[in-house]
Amino acid sequence: MKKVGLIIDKYHLENKVKEFIAYMKKVCKLSLYVEQDYIVDFTEVKFDEDLFFIKGKGDVILNFAKSLEMDTDIPVINSSNGIWLAYNRFLNSSLLRSTGIQVPNFSLNPKDQSPPFQNFIIKNVRDQDNYTFYPTIKRSDGFIEVRDKRALQEAYGTEAQYNFFYYQEYIESEFEYKIYGIGEDLYFYRQKPTLMDPDKMKSRKAIDPITELGEIACQVMKLFDLKIISLDFLKSAEEIYYLTDVNSTPNFNYLKNGPENVGKYLISQAKK
Amino acid sequence: MKIGILSKRKTGLTEKICAYYKDRGHQVTIFTENELAVNSSLFEYDFYILKSKSLLFFYTGYFLHLNHIPVIPDPIISYKHKHRVESYYSIRNCGLNPPKIYMGTTESINKQTNSLGYPFIVKPLMGSGSKGLKIIRNSGDLDYAPNTILYIEKFIEGTHYLAYFIDDQICVGKKQPFADEHAKVEIIAPVKDIQQALMLWKTKYNLLFGHLDMIRETSTGKLIVVDPGTFPEFSNWKGNEEPVPKICNLILKRYQEKRDYN
Repeated sequence: MKKVGLIIDKYHLENKVKEFIAYMKKVCKLSLYVEQDYIVDFTEVKFDEDLFFIKGKGDVILNFAKSLEMDTDIPVINSSNGIWLAYNRFLNSSLLRSTGIQVPNFSLNPKDQSPPFQNFIIKNVRDQDNYTFYPTIKRSDGFIEVRDKRALQEAYGTEAQYNFFYYQEYIESEFEYKIYGIGEDLYFYRQKPTLMDPDKMKSRKAIDPITELGEIACQVMKLFDLKIISLDFLKSAEEIYYLTDVNSTPNFNYLKNGPENVGKYLISQAKK
Repeated sequence: MKIGILSKRKTGLTEKICAYYKDRGHQVTIFTENELAVNSSLFEYDFYILKSKSLLFFYTGYFLHLNHIPVIPDPIISYKHKHRVESYYSIRNCGLNPPKIYMGTTESINKQTNSLGYPFIVKPLMGSGSKGLKIIRNSGDLDYAPNTILYIEKFIEGTHYLAYFIDDQICVGKKQPFADEHAKVEIIAPVKDIQQALMLWKTKYNLLFGHLDMIRETSTGKLIVVDPGTFPEFSNWKGNEEPVPKICNLILKRYQEKRDYN
């Protein structure tokens, strides 16, 4: 039986992986490393797991993953660098655009400067914590301004971290397209954009594969070294798909047999 | 040429570098965090100098780098040397001794202080020098919220050094433990292993200049690199040459190499 290590934070452990853990316990030896209870000792990196699965984005988790990548030959899914790139919005927008993948226009601007776009979303700079998107929407004179509460707190809150905002140009789209990738398998869905209907699952439907989006998903997975991923796309009036979000810790409970499929994929990638 | 300097302040070495280039006919703009918008408007400059390494400046450097605008020093290397875990591996990868490091939450560290042993030092994960550092001598010192993620280093008893290099010139000073770069140091003749460490570091990461904070551990005599820096202020530099012209010319030369390569 393979031995799989799950490196996870308390939030994901308590809310997101019940079925996954139940499945894994049937098919492998599962060891748990919980961010809030574990100390990473970078000088003693010795483990007998055949694979580590990372479910979280906190600094202890990422640097633990990094230590495994540096000092062992145990496969780590997803890679620490991929997760880091995925939550640093500005870095991933820059990287994606530099390789020709369409992303909405974006900019970092001082918090007290005028916005660089007429229609925009201010998103949190680093999407590292486990909060959900909490938008305030202002429509006037045909323009839309969306501000994520988390981003405002990061710049103006009592424990402000930044003096700048990450702006993304707003793309009007009838649907949001969500692509999940588990290894080489892709799953395609569409739903009403979260800004139109926060209950994303209400309108979510499985759709036939869209070749263009599938190709982009494969390209992003390779570029970021992410094996398990979800991507959000919006489609403009000019029928251009824009990649708006890269998620390295997707909630695979929304997929049919998601926990099982992820588990099977992980076992297939374990050390031989 | 149009040169941008990414710097948290307009004074000190930044001001001197700016003046040096302006005196030689270049157009120079210093971008501080309060006036920097990171987008294609930055492409009109020939190259940028990454003087400071806050998150915003690192993002800017990465963005420019991906868009083929030279940034000196290299923003990826600068980030790795600023991030303490990344710098641990950078130190180790060139054969030097890093400190013993750990990460965990206040709660998890508190539970394992028996095996960790006091004293140890809490440092910001992204940081350099002595800013934000706290020595933990007993459980009472560990007064952070239980879920705070902490980066810690084992305390090293020993002699502390600040060691600069600019090209092949070096300058080494003994300093007070945990003093910042600007505190007074006692300039000393560099011993062989300190010289070797500086040159290994410089060569491995293709650096023009920089510094290493090192500690000679009293119990073992081992030289341990605790803190690298890619762009110090050179406040304590006592070399044969003035640092500003030397640094400015090295940067121009590196820019020309990058331009020719592209």
